[in-house]
Amino acid sequence: MSKQKGLSDLAKIEERLAYWLLLPTLIILLIIAFYPLGSVFYNSFTNKAFASAEPVEFVGFKNYSQLLSFTIRELPPQVDAGGQPVLDDTGKVLYTRPLDVLPREPLRYRELSQFSLLGRRYVVGATDRDFLRGVWDTLIFTVIAVTLETIIGLGIALVVNVKFTGRGVMRAVMLVPWAIPTAVSSRMWEWMFRSTRVGFFNVVFQNLGLIQDPIPFLTSQNWQLPAMIAIDVWKTTPFMALLLLAGLQLIPGDIYEAADVDGASKLRQFFSLTLPLLRPTLAVALVFRTLDSLRVFDLFQIVLAQSRYSMASFTYYQLTNNRAMGYSSASSVIIFILIFIFAVLYIKILGGADSE
Amino acid sequence: MKRSSMLLILVLVAAMLLASCGPKPTEAPADTTPEATTPPSTGDQRVTITIAAGAVGQELELTQAAAQRYMDTHPNVTVRVLDTPDLVQDRLGLYLQFFEAGSAEVDIYQIDVIWPGDLAEHFVDLNEHGARNVAGQHFPAIIENNTVDGKLVGIPWFTDAGLLYFRSDLLEKYGYSAGPTTWDELEEMAATIQAGERAAGNADFWGFVWQGNSYEGLTCDALEWIDSNAGGTIVSPEKVITVNNPAAIAAIERAAGWVGTISPPGVVGFGEEDARGIWQAGNAAFMRNWPYAYSLGNSDDSVIKGQFDVSPLPAGDSGSGSATLGGWQLAVSRYSNNPAIAADVALYLASAEEQKIRAIEGSLNPTIMSLYSDADVLAASPFFGSLYDVFINAAARPSTATAPKYNDTSTLFFQAVHSVLTGRSDAVTAFDELEADLEALLGYPVGQP
Repeated sequence: MSKQKGLSDLAKIEERLAYWLLLPTLIILLIIAFYPLGSVFYNSFTNKAFASAEPVEFVGFKNYSQLLSFTIRELPPQVDAGGQPVLDDTGKVLYTRPLDVLPREPLRYRELSQFSLLGRRYVVGATDRDFLRGVWDTLIFTVIAVTLETIIGLGIALVVNVKFTGRGVMRAVMLVPWAIPTAVSSRMWEWMFRSTRVGFFNVVFQNLGLIQDPIPFLTSQNWQLPAMIAIDVWKTTPFMALLLLAGLQLIPGDIYEAADVDGASKLRQFFSLTLPLLRPTLAVALVFRTLDSLRVFDLFQIVLAQSRYSMASFTYYQLTNNRAMGYSSASSVIIFILIFIFAVLYIKILGGADSE
Repeated sequence: MKRSSMLLILVLVAAMLLASCGPKPTEAPADTTPEATTPPSTGDQRVTITIAAGAVGQELELTQAAAQRYMDTHPNVTVRVLDTPDLVQDRLGLYLQFFEAGSAEVDIYQIDVIWPGDLAEHFVDLNEHGARNVAGQHFPAIIENNTVDGKLVGIPWFTDAGLLYFRSDLLEKYGYSAGPTTWDELEEMAATIQAGERAAGNADFWGFVWQGNSYEGLTCDALEWIDSNAGGTIVSPEKVITVNNPAAIAAIERAAGWVGTISPPGVVGFGEEDARGIWQAGNAAFMRNWPYAYSLGNSDDSVIKGQFDVSPLPAGDSGSGSATLGGWQLAVSRYSNNPAIAADVALYLASAEEQKIRAIEGSLNPTIMSLYSDADVLAASPFFGSLYDVFINAAARPSTATAPKYNDTSTLFFQAVHSVLTGRSDAVTAFDELEADLEALLGYPVGQP
């Protein structure tokens, strides 16, 4: 309060002017960020259909509960007429099928996954297994891809930070993958991953005698995510390297000279000088890449379409193919909340330590 | 602390912006034009009509040539052809964005045979623009399909049905006098020819290629397997879910057995053009595809020019083959600024003379019945005459019985079939699950075909 009193008239006028000058920015923010977001929130509580004149009804949290409901049920072993468990050809116990165990009214639960715990078999059922699987896949994709990008990016940044002939060229070449539009590079990689004669990897591996049959990178459940991660790492490592390179150049050279005089090894210098001083840059780069990966859309949509979803491509599918605008809005809101949580976590972990 | 809270605010704002950059189901583009208020041009004014048309094979060139012919006789009209994605579902996604925005940018849409019921509200009644006089020339079944509540939503442009392509030279080489009439025969021939051609040095040779990716095309292929095996059409016209029956399961199990034996393992990622690529390079003995592949296979740069023929698809236990009905219609957008002129363009493109050119140059099957006895058409595509019955008797996808949830139905179906083809699930479990899914989705009773 005393601070306020101390302000001169001139300062007050300036303060008022500052608010006026901020106003256009605030209005633009309201129009381009808050209005669309608000309307997504609103739609997420309705059953609105996309591109349709059907009457819109308010449905409360129905969309959310359908997206997120899941249940865990035990799968009892199958028993024959004599009460003995049925075994398959390899001697494993056969369990009741999830279909017979999971609830079907009022909403049908579909099998998401199975797991064993303490000798019992359980099934996880979800009312929208595509969505929950999409969320899980996106999280796995983000964690692995961002980790790899950071490590490889840091390596590249350290190399091109050293003075050597042709460094300018190297820095330019490094950026090529980042410069190619994702639509183009996704299509390119899709071709390379094909399991026919078009597929670069399969042809090379076969000619080297590494594999007998082609690997179905894009149709096998086990290979789809690694393929997506490979494409993303190839594409965005340069971005990571560029950000980290900028950070490296801010570190003054004389501290390394001092460290040399003190007899610190290069490894010690890296962990005691480079890494701590790079920390703010690393934090910004990680926040950027993580939030970006969580929203991944183009890559999944172009390469996998309806065979596997990321959170964003699931939302797109619900909107355009199923025309479920309310439902897809609800999934957008969930994505938003997830990204929000990630952002807060990052600031707590990285930003907090930085300011102390 | 102050710095970190500033950073927090910045990041949150950034997160909001990023989140709203994604595919957002909210705002119409700013350039939305209000609904048509200006009357159709009177002749002095230049008018541009835009057609959203397919680009599979040579479709795009054919449409552009036809547009040019229209412009030659109508100097005041410019017809612009917008090419659209090859995959049917991507194309629907694009169209819906135009409709949601009420956009006048596209005047004429090329729509799939399964869409009229669902999209009717966005199109004008072509009967009010002179289509009533020509509707009688087309196959009645397609006109009926395109008529929603008495309103003619689209004028039929070309029809499609699944066909079996076979290499007549190779059949002869391995001692077969005619193409296969049953799936058993096809399997046997494909295996023999594949083994022989591989032994002769072509390691890339496969017996049978088709569409196995997880998309609408797989619904078409799988419907043919099931229907030819007397397994019904997923949901019957009487709104009964019939898909879970032993004949259907046997048909899907048979197809799953092809993957990696007579068909490449990669077939579970194939669309139409992937199959045609292998076929037209001379690396397959049989192919299931639509009629458009016929004239492309006979083009000058084709390795197999003049060495193949087509027939109806083989039969299963039902005793006769089955072909999924496809085909495209031209519909005029309700949001067009010049609906009368757009309707005139659409009717011209679907007229007998234009369909004849498309039949001869693109082997696209006409929807006008009289063209099937036209001498010029038969000279260019001799197989048309014999396939007239295929088109008349083709199996329709259950788009009417499941409307407006056909897309959901089809997605559940092709995902279930795909899980069997890729070995993730056995056919019995997959179809038990599918039946439960369809019950939950549609609320129809379950029965046998």
